[in-house]
Amino acid sequence: MIPEYYQFFCPVKILSGLRALGNLPYEMDLLGAHRALIVTDKGVVGAGLIRHVLRALEGSQSELGAIFDKTPPDSSMEVVNEVAQLFTKEGCDCFVAVGGGSCMDTAKCANMMVTEGAYDLAKLQGTERVKKRMKPFIAVPTTAGTGSEVSLAAVIHDETTKVKMGFASYRMLTDVAILDPKMTLTMPPKITAATGMDALTHAIEAYYCLQKNPVSDSFAIAAIKLIMDNLIRCIENGKDETARLAMANAALLAGISFSNSMCGVVHALAHACGGVSRIPHGVATGVLLPWGMENNLDKAGGTIAELAPLLGASTSGSPMQQAKAAIEAVRGLVTRLRDLCEFPTTLNEAGVPENKLGDIAKAALNDATITFNPEEVTYEDALAILRKAFG
Amino acid sequence: MVGSSLLASGVAFEMVSRSDSKVKAEIADWQDGYVFSIGVLPDGPAVSFMKRGDQICYLGKGYKNPQLRFLFKSLDSALLVLTGQIGSHIASAQHRTIVHGNLAEAMQVSRVMNIVQTYLYPAFVLKKTMKRPAKLTSAQLLLKAWVIATLPVGMLANIGK
Repeated sequence: MIPEYYQFFCPVKILSGLRALGNLPYEMDLLGAHRALIVTDKGVVGAGLIRHVLRALEGSQSELGAIFDKTPPDSSMEVVNEVAQLFTKEGCDCFVAVGGGSCMDTAKCANMMVTEGAYDLAKLQGTERVKKRMKPFIAVPTTAGTGSEVSLAAVIHDETTKVKMGFASYRMLTDVAILDPKMTLTMPPKITAATGMDALTHAIEAYYCLQKNPVSDSFAIAAIKLIMDNLIRCIENGKDETARLAMANAALLAGISFSNSMCGVVHALAHACGGVSRIPHGVATGVLLPWGMENNLDKAGGTIAELAPLLGASTSGSPMQQAKAAIEAVRGLVTRLRDLCEFPTTLNEAGVPENKLGDIAKAALNDATITFNPEEVTYEDALAILRKAFG
Repeated sequence: MVGSSLLASGVAFEMVSRSDSKVKAEIADWQDGYVFSIGVLPDGPAVSFMKRGDQICYLGKGYKNPQLRFLFKSLDSALLVLTGQIGSHIASAQHRTIVHGNLAEAMQVSRVMNIVQTYLYPAFVLKKTMKRPAKLTSAQLLLKAWVIATLPVGMLANIGK
């Protein structure tokens, strides 16, 4: 069904495949940039992945301005300020984010500050605050989940006020996303599972939430197919470059889809779980996804049913039966991940204290993604979903 | 038309927040003096509100140094929402609105807007514009009747603000 109105936008150039990273200097040159600030984290450096980036720059006219490797898992305003200052101090002219969602979000917000000449990131909170063209920005993801390399959003914590600040702007999209299989080969199985479930949640929620449209649907469908074919392969054999590249593509496709269609109650609750109980975002999405889908059966059962064949579920019976089968297929995948790499199947197993469920439900209501959930979600509804997912 | 609708919303915010317990509960944690505005881009009409005590006060037309701006991208988009043709969640989904300020605070303002709308529109409109319209109690139905009956007077009293 065609929505009565929709918008879609993704101008990101995508480089995917073997030795894709080797094109980094060429892409920098095309963007008119020659001195890169690499924004990364200790884990990426420790895994030796920055060496690949530096090797790509060797012998070219592009040079390294500086490396910022102190990005924490939940980046803060202080970190963004530090990165923005380093960019200016070192005379850099482009950002190269190498890592997961936090590195990308940090680079996006630092870029926003440099571009707008802002001193207070908090003043740029909200949607479509950036008016100028941002500095060249290249993303090299080292996980296959967040889709941040193609998404228009970023989340940064204000450590002083303890407020989570949200930013969304079409200007924040990267110029180039480089998917090189060697950059995700070192991801351990449990992180592979969590990031893969994050990508699956992006694709599924984008497919049935309120902003869905034919263009974002096509990206979501392609993402789900790739995930169902390759996630288990990546966990069984982390060195399978073909499966790794497929998962990197799946995360990117899901990212394009949700960046235009947004997510729903699963993401709202998962963000809140992360904020309140510090459990990894991908773990929370994996645990909550079937319960969030169930929450939307009345309003979006027919749409969820369309996902049944993609998820390997039965396509017989009424649309509602197919939708329920699709949900069971997701549960089956989570159980398989538990057997393979001890992926939690309940919030209890994930380490969420039961007495925090109320706080999580309250926080989730203030997450913008809940707006796009087809079904209304009140505090009581959110708490009911959490209780079911707690186990 | 949009200006009048915004004025009506402004007056209704104040009237409903005086009596509705859900609005009072929603704004209980807001900082006293917190200002938010609803406006239309690029240079369309706007109205501002302030939290004072346990109520929301209508400050008048224009942006009165707000911490949060809830903005419609065009007059057409504002008209669709303010005349009950589409819900605010659909307006967000259709990229018809943007927010300048903290998104969590915008969610709280949006919930208050939804409560206020339940007092302004008839049930058949709410069924179309809301995901799950709230069922009003007898006391709330009486309040709704009072809001609708006295809204024109309130608008006249605030027209110069």
